[in-house]
Amino acid sequence: MASERQIAANRRNARKSTGPRSGAGRKRASHNAFCHGLTLSITSTAAFAKHLDRLVRKIAGDSEEAIVLERARAVAQAELELARVRRTKVALIERASAFGELDPPRLTVTQMIRLLNAFDRGRLIVPKPLDASATMPSQEPHRSAEAVRRVLPELRKLDRYERRAAARRDRAVLNLSDRMKSLNNL
Amino acid sequence: MGRRNELALLPKLPLLITESVDEFDAIRDAFEREIKPHGIIEQMYVHDVSCIVWEILRLRRCKVVIINSAFRKALQSLLKELLTDEDGYYAADETEALALAWFTDHAAKKQVSEILGRFELDESAIEAEAIRSSSADLELLDRMLTSLESRRDKALGCVAEYRASLARQLRESADRIIDDNDVLRLEHPSSKRPTAA
Repeated sequence: MASERQIAANRRNARKSTGPRSGAGRKRASHNAFCHGLTLSITSTAAFAKHLDRLVRKIAGDSEEAIVLERARAVAQAELELARVRRTKVALIERASAFGELDPPRLTVTQMIRLLNAFDRGRLIVPKPLDASATMPSQEPHRSAEAVRRVLPELRKLDRYERRAAARRDRAVLNLSDRMKSLNNL
Repeated sequence: MGRRNELALLPKLPLLITESVDEFDAIRDAFEREIKPHGIIEQMYVHDVSCIVWEILRLRRCKVVIINSAFRKALQSLLKELLTDEDGYYAADETEALALAWFTDHAAKKQVSEILGRFELDESAIEAEAIRSSSADLELLDRMLTSLESRRDKALGCVAEYRASLARQLRESADRIIDDNDVLRLEHPSSKRPTAA
């Protein structure tokens, strides 16, 4: 456990660093937690909002009741979110298939050592980063399988989002169904 | 017409450029024939099940290819282990050539079988080594497959649940209509006789 003196020192140090001060710095820091954008609401894009409205109308049927419409919207929203995760998965596999990896090519440790050694000797060399796409099999189905293998950790993470969207959709369908039932009983 | 409208509203499953739209449609049609969905919600679940099954097939294909791709390295590593002498020497080039030839050359296959036989092993040892060397990827794939299979079963359960709830709802509505006193009762024309004063 930290002593009183350590706590006081921590507080003093914390006061020295209060995050970015410039507008550009603050804007950049506001994206610190941004990873993939999958938690962003889908209604934030106009095309999705239009598609969403059409789907809501279809799910709600002839009903004009506000609660039915709201629950139909929850179903449609979850359904479109599910589709968005699926699209992301396919896009990642396609990208890995085309470029060999998701991150831009980086220098290997050996290349970095060579670069530093050359720099020490006053020479400047331009090392060529390893081309990951060259390590991809050229023929199908090996190429696609290798692409899937290379993005497996990302796919596993996306699986979590997909399951969550599916669970939300199932719950929303139950809620809608309950509402329809109670309206019928009136 | 209704079905086509509903399908147009549902988001399409994006496929890899190497995958066939016709094959996916065939899978969805097969599920539609079995489940016979009514309305957009049931259609949505059928679409979901088809997408999940498509992804399961994709990952299963991938699993097989990963194991098959690991065969050459597995054979190489197995031969290296078996052919290394007491001084730690093994003929690297020959081992590599033999591992490569094993896929196409009958004589090389026989030679490998003989080497494996000397240690009371057979070709299943190559497969075991291929699986072992790609176990980290296979484990991830298996987890994803398990998750997809459980979601597929849940989606099928949801169709049944939704359908049962709808059926219950319709039954209750029908019962209420029958029991309702305000319902117009059709009278037989013969009952409309003038009554005696």
